[in-house]
Amino acid sequence: MIPQAPILAIVVPLFSAFLMPMIGLLSKRYNIDRACDWFAVAAMVGTLIIVASMAPTVWGGQIIVYKFGNWSPPWGINLAIDALSIQMALMIAGLGTLVMVYSVAYMQRDSRRDLFYTLALLVITGMMGTILTGDIFNFYVFLEIMSVASYALIAFRRDSSGIEAGLKYLFIGSLGTSFVLLSIAMLYSFVGSLNIADLGAKLAIYRGAAQPVPTILVASLALFVTGIMIKVAMVPFHIWLPDAFTAAPTAVSALLAGPAAVVGIYWVARLPYLPFGLPVGIILVSLGLLSMIVGVLMALTQRDFKRMLAYHVISQKGYMVLGIGLGTLGSVLGAQGGLFHLLNHSIYKSMLFMCAGAVLYRTGSQKFEELGGLGKNMPLTALTFLIGSLAISGIPPLNGFVSKYTIYLGGIEAGLPIVTIIAVLVSALTFASFFKAFSSVFLGQRPKHLRDIQEAPKLMLFPMLAMAVVCIVIGLFPALGFNVVGPAQAAAENSAGYIGHVIGGI
Amino acid sequence: MSLNYVIAMLLITLGLYCLLFKRNLIKLIIGLSVMTDGIHLFLISMGYRTGGIAPIVTGESTSNLPNFASRAVDPLPQALVLTSIVINICITAMALSLSIYAYRHYGTLDPSKIRRLSE
Repeated sequence: MIPQAPILAIVVPLFSAFLMPMIGLLSKRYNIDRACDWFAVAAMVGTLIIVASMAPTVWGGQIIVYKFGNWSPPWGINLAIDALSIQMALMIAGLGTLVMVYSVAYMQRDSRRDLFYTLALLVITGMMGTILTGDIFNFYVFLEIMSVASYALIAFRRDSSGIEAGLKYLFIGSLGTSFVLLSIAMLYSFVGSLNIADLGAKLAIYRGAAQPVPTILVASLALFVTGIMIKVAMVPFHIWLPDAFTAAPTAVSALLAGPAAVVGIYWVARLPYLPFGLPVGIILVSLGLLSMIVGVLMALTQRDFKRMLAYHVISQKGYMVLGIGLGTLGSVLGAQGGLFHLLNHSIYKSMLFMCAGAVLYRTGSQKFEELGGLGKNMPLTALTFLIGSLAISGIPPLNGFVSKYTIYLGGIEAGLPIVTIIAVLVSALTFASFFKAFSSVFLGQRPKHLRDIQEAPKLMLFPMLAMAVVCIVIGLFPALGFNVVGPAQAAAENSAGYIGHVIGGI
Repeated sequence: MSLNYVIAMLLITLGLYCLLFKRNLIKLIIGLSVMTDGIHLFLISMGYRTGGIAPIVTGESTSNLPNFASRAVDPLPQALVLTSIVINICITAMALSLSIYAYRHYGTLDPSKIRRLSE
């Protein structure tokens, strides 16, 4: 482990973000063309190395506790990294790096790219912070850093649809984060602590049926769940997501669909055990089912490439929440499937957005009826899109099949076979929707004005192909994925171990 | 003291009402601010003590610890509220600047009209 690695994982993207405008100025003065772009990529690679250096220690069964200013946990602020956090941190850093490489090519026509990278790195900072922190108010602060930066990123091009989507996400998202703040305030007034491990230890008496749960705790839990669900975009709270993902520059959509999805699901996975430890399984299962069905039905009717992908984000996040919900109802397979699906989905959904971005970059259109026959012009983009759509539909031997199959088994294991049946049906509808998208963009008649379209730039193809290879490799060797999500699921459930590690070291 | 909590909850409800039913971006932003201010009032009331003293440990206070502990206010909510106020300013600034752009593009601040114009 690199010394001070936990804090460096947050500080490196944060400081790179604030150095970025300066580098932009210098590169303008000395005429270095792409200094900002490569600095952003370098910052992300550095973050990835730092996070990866922590992984062996954590998977060896330890929980890394980093104390700010050496104040012991219940009083000071601490970072706590267990197997669940490290899975999420690795995903954020890895996918973030690929998205940055993609943006180097995708954003080259935009002016003020230094500001774009500042905001993108701030989003990464916020995500890293929410994942790694062991203090619930700190979590709120990082959540806001991530949210405010992503509102700005969505409206980055200041076009009319971006402004509208940014405003919409801002109002709905700020409402959600205010709920989280109110929930934290109630929790503090009841328990008198902000440390997640300490809260978990002090609320442990309500975990069994012996003690009646006080009303303020239920209210706090309800507000917290609502706030998180707005960020995850489960169905009653999903309206911001399709607009935001359609209007944002595609590199931002890929960033929000892949890495940013991680934050919400991390808290969905953490919530049933720490800090509340109250049974929320049935809420998660029903919200997950609702999102799966509504998301895929809405996606079937879309005529816009990115909007269709956005509705599939909602539907696939439903699978993850469903899996984790099944996990709290006693099915280990369900929870592992949910976390595994998060891993797979982040990879192929970022990739699919990148394909849509490549098509948009070359043709200037994202409407199905204006596109067609692009398979001849852009064979590699078509190939990666095909791999992505087969993976998202759960066709073997790709990674989506493995995780979806694990969730199906989880449904049966939890004694709810009806859930499995619905999940299989939604998967079939997903396939139908992607079949339509693939045939209308890459097959069929090619409009005359699209005859001279070229393949996407190499810098765009590189992250897309890398992700496609990962999809196939995880599909062929699912044990690789289970080696990551197995410990993560065990760590999420092992709240006593977490509390012991964080508080016990006094 | 319980009056503080009543007012805090009233402010939160008022802000929420404003966010849900008002048809003007500026009023929505005001609603958001009122709501977060309600939460801030709730937080700050938790740490308040009538006749309390500042929780700064000096030589004098360590000599009479029980007296210090029973009179010192809780400093943590104040720190939280300061952080939260700064965050709230960021959000308000962001929302106002986006509203300016929205007005330039659409010539109105009514969210439902903006929605219709963009389609």
